[in-house]
Amino acid sequence: MDLNPPPGENYANPRICFFHVLFKAGALAFYILSALFSDSFVIIFVVTVLLAALDFWVVKNVSGRILVGLRWWNEIDDNGESVWKFECLDQESLARMNKKDSWLFWWTLYLTAVVWIFFGIFSLIRFQADYLLVVGVCLTLSIANIVGFTKCRKDAKKQIQQFASQTIASRFSSTLQSAFSVV
Amino acid sequence: MSYTERDTVPLNQSSQSDIDEIENLINYTVQSTVLPARPPSPPSIPVSSSPFIPSNLPPPPQKPASVPSVPQQPSNRTANGQQQSNLTGFGSPPNTLTEPVWDTVKRDLSRIVSNLKLVVFPNPFREDPGKALRDWDLWGPFFFIVFLGLTLSWSASVKNSEVFAVAFALLATGAVILTLNVLLLGGHIIFFQSLSLLGYCLFPLDIGALICMLKDNVILKIVVVCVTLAWSSWAAYPFISMAVNPRRKALALYPVLLMYVSVGFLIIAID
Repeated sequence: MDLNPPPGENYANPRICFFHVLFKAGALAFYILSALFSDSFVIIFVVTVLLAALDFWVVKNVSGRILVGLRWWNEIDDNGESVWKFECLDQESLARMNKKDSWLFWWTLYLTAVVWIFFGIFSLIRFQADYLLVVGVCLTLSIANIVGFTKCRKDAKKQIQQFASQTIASRFSSTLQSAFSVV
Repeated sequence: MSYTERDTVPLNQSSQSDIDEIENLINYTVQSTVLPARPPSPPSIPVSSSPFIPSNLPPPPQKPASVPSVPQQPSNRTANGQQQSNLTGFGSPPNTLTEPVWDTVKRDLSRIVSNLKLVVFPNPFREDPGKALRDWDLWGPFFFIVFLGLTLSWSASVKNSEVFAVAFALLATGAVILTLNVLLLGGHIIFFQSLSLLGYCLFPLDIGALICMLKDNVILKIVVVCVTLAWSSWAAYPFISMAVNPRRKALALYPVLLMYVSVGFLIIAID
């Protein structure tokens, strides 16, 4: 993964990229600047966690689908078992995805989790258990999204490989069959 | 160039016939009849459409027992391709950002309301708890826990932040530990389903806390808390008791009641 956005094209969905980053940055900024804004821990907690939850929802439902074409969710089937479902676009649409969009998506996803881990370490060092609670909740939400989308992307790659090898194998066998039938 | 209607491809498929179906869909892109209008942007994803597009394709009606190879049975495949492309109807593509967001928000809100009605109010589905909360979500419990914490914190004249943090941490870790308790007793319940359930059953206590915040009479508080406590326990009872062995029902239920009683005391004691 490179540090710079891929050159040569613009963002395909600038508004969605903006919202994708907005709530993440808002939660982090509010947490950092909270000392200036308000003395009350309750306000800090509620606003930060609310922004983090909104960000979770936006990434899972909106930007994941539009920026990288991936989606994940959990269902309970008829046997009462919990099933994690992953879904992706077909290969042609995936190849047509805007590179800059997906670069932004993945980079901000991982970066926010790393920043929250730093804040968690700070609050551990300073023995502030209530701020640790805030960081813990936000970190849980970020990690849930990261795990979901990474699993989804791995599954997509595996599926594409499987499919490609399957088509190659079937085409190969069909050409063999036609060759033998001619002979 | 016409875009395929089924842009989303299911994953995690193990059966041969399903992979054939995917190939089928990609091969028969141009033949699919039902095509909504699409914007020129490449990822034409139905964001506003039905939430759970089934990720497993519906099984083909009659596939012969042997695994079919590609050149054979073209007519069968065409029929399958057509049938499947007609089965899934997509909504209109997202033209503005608000359009898909609103639909998703409305869908999530209606799910919260329906879950709340299923759990807290009397309804015929309470006999089969597994089915009732199949569509679990954690947004409702999140709002209820935060609301309870806020109400308690507003009622408190001193140490507001500590009250809020304690209430939130108590409820969140309490829900997790109670779920683990049910699972360790050999109960059959999904982790998130149980978290969601315990969160929704806080709704009566939320109402009680709100009333106690508005009226500061001790007798009234005790009465209101008792009533809402009984309501919460009644709401949680069938789900927990159905999930475990009948001999262990009390072991699973007692901690739940204990947690709700302690929240009730917290509500009464705040002044």
